[in-house]
Amino acid sequence: MSLAHINIFLAFTVSLMGLLMYRSHLMSSLLCLEGMMLSLFVMATMVVLNTHFTLASMMPIILLVFAACEAALGLSLLVMVSNTYGVDHVQNLNLLQC
Amino acid sequence: MNMFSSLMLASLSVLTLPIMSSILNTHKNSTYPHHVKNIISYAFITSLIPTMMFIHSGQETIISNWHWMTIQTLKLSLSFKLDYFSMIFVPVALFVTWSIMEFSLWYMHSDPYITRFFKYLLTFLITMMILVTANNLFQLFIGWEGVGIMSFLLIGWWYGRTDANTAALQAILYNRIGDIGFIMAMAWFLFNANTWDLQQIFMLDPNLTNLPLLGLLLAATGKSAQFGLHPWLPSAMEGPTPVSALLHSSTMVVAGVFLLIRFHPLMENNKTIQSLTLCLGAITTLFTAICALTQNDIKKIIAFSTSSQLGLMIVTIGINQPYLAFLHICTHAFFKAMLFMCSGSIIHSLNDEQDIRKMGGLFNAMPFTTTSLIIGSLALTGMPFLTGFYSKDLIIETANTSYTNAWALLMTLIATSLTAVYSTRIIFFALLGQPRFLPLTTINENNPFLINSIKRLLIGSIFAGFFISNNIYPTTIPEMTMPIYMKLTALTVTILGFTLALELSLITQNLKLEHPTNMFKFSNLLGYYPTIMHRLPPLASLSMSQKSASLLLDSIWLENILPKSISQFQMKTSILISTQKGQIKLYFLSFLITLTLSMLLFNLHE
Repeated sequence: MSLAHINIFLAFTVSLMGLLMYRSHLMSSLLCLEGMMLSLFVMATMVVLNTHFTLASMMPIILLVFAACEAALGLSLLVMVSNTYGVDHVQNLNLLQC
Repeated sequence: MNMFSSLMLASLSVLTLPIMSSILNTHKNSTYPHHVKNIISYAFITSLIPTMMFIHSGQETIISNWHWMTIQTLKLSLSFKLDYFSMIFVPVALFVTWSIMEFSLWYMHSDPYITRFFKYLLTFLITMMILVTANNLFQLFIGWEGVGIMSFLLIGWWYGRTDANTAALQAILYNRIGDIGFIMAMAWFLFNANTWDLQQIFMLDPNLTNLPLLGLLLAATGKSAQFGLHPWLPSAMEGPTPVSALLHSSTMVVAGVFLLIRFHPLMENNKTIQSLTLCLGAITTLFTAICALTQNDIKKIIAFSTSSQLGLMIVTIGINQPYLAFLHICTHAFFKAMLFMCSGSIIHSLNDEQDIRKMGGLFNAMPFTTTSLIIGSLALTGMPFLTGFYSKDLIIETANTSYTNAWALLMTLIATSLTAVYSTRIIFFALLGQPRFLPLTTINENNPFLINSIKRLLIGSIFAGFFISNNIYPTTIPEMTMPIYMKLTALTVTILGFTLALELSLITQNLKLEHPTNMFKFSNLLGYYPTIMHRLPPLASLSMSQKSASLLLDSIWLENILPKSISQFQMKTSILISTQKGQIKLYFLSFLITLTLSMLLFNLHE
């Protein structure tokens, strides 16, 4: 693989580890999710442009749109938690009371 | 040329002059009531001339003045029908109103709004005249609604009293239920005869007239207080006595009967409707006569008497004798108005005492009122050769000799004897015996207004029956031959009623008062009809509508069926089947370790 590909792949892996290992704030997890989406976008755009696969040019855009929706959903969940507890510490999410 | 139409129109339009004088502000004078009374007397005298011309020549007139509007194929114009019924009714009504106006000059003397009172009475009279002379149903409806509105305003005259307001509202509501029938009849005639003119309806003579005649019967039930829509009439006694005398004895309540009389060409071909009117009138006359037996308010007894006589008029229509019913309307107006005026004289003299248990001994204290009360009661019960005899006896004779429902006939005969019973009750309690009122009395009947007005109606009560019966042209031939026991039936039951009532009153006068029996309670509380009908149907309909509108529609269909049921279901099942404890970091960490291990395994495995 070329150096640029390895760079982006490394960015993705770092974000993934940040998503799965975090201390207390739910917000950091959401931010890493955004980072993953960003690296995926860049990777997809680079591959499409390098291989001149013009027909697949809309794939990164669609990926971005769905990432935006998902970010909104994640933020609304964060707001709900913050409304109940005041802070978004993850240890608060241990009561599965519906 | 004869001045028939112009004189009649003149006498009718003269009545509207005092109403228009409010433009000139002459109604602020203190002599305005006198003006009104004089105008009505002039209108009466003017209307006598066309009536006499009509009786002499038998010529009917229809005056169509003014083309109002044309709605597609329906032409509405202002038209007056001056035929037998309206020509004889107009002088009678004007005469009775003249006497009542003079009476109310005495009765309402101390009222600060006496000019408004007279204006209301005059407006009522004008709308009644519109009703009586109407040639098409639209104009009749205008008069119909007009008398209803004026009745509302006049019953609630003393509006500070809650009972008066409730009674006025009750009158409007019951009349409205009757108006539904009227409008149904109008709609049927519009669709099937393409007109609202009486001439065209009678010419076309439609075949299946059940529906419009039912509608007209419902309208008569509402306006003339037949059984089912009757409680408004005794409650209407909350109004002043002149109002009771004019509206609820002579003029307004006969509007329903008048409507049925107007449609007699349609009714004579429909046997079903005739039987229905017969039974309705029989039930009404008996029920209200029973209710009148134990009432203690003198005006309520006379109100029930009116209701009973109205039932008798409806019975007469039911045996296919519209002209006899009309004769009874005219004669009834005289003595019923006089009875109300005598009761007003008694009430005012005893300082507004209306309970007959607190009257007594007025036989010597108020001789003129006593005389007129007794003559009025005798005329009411049909004493031979007084006024009531000429109509009431003929009605009973015709009912006896016609091929009709025996049960209805029996009810009518019983009600006739009860008429005598409650009349005796009034006379016994109000006039005879020792005085039961307070010693400091204000008994005074020396006012010329009072004396003249009652005197005029007294002469009418004695002679009007004879006078009218001899001067009208023959219409339906009365039954001439019958067995002697049938001829004497009305007289016998009346005398029976008189003697029975007098005996019972004298015997029970000094007995200890027992607890009221069930029959007494039935009669005193008007057969429980207002108690039941004014509480149960409104409660049922309101609670049912609340349950269906807010509970059913809002709560159940909009809220509970989809949204709330789904959320409840989800919550219950997720609590039921989840076993997690929410250690999110641990779960993420284990995911990462699994991912790393699998990557290492896949890539470094040779």
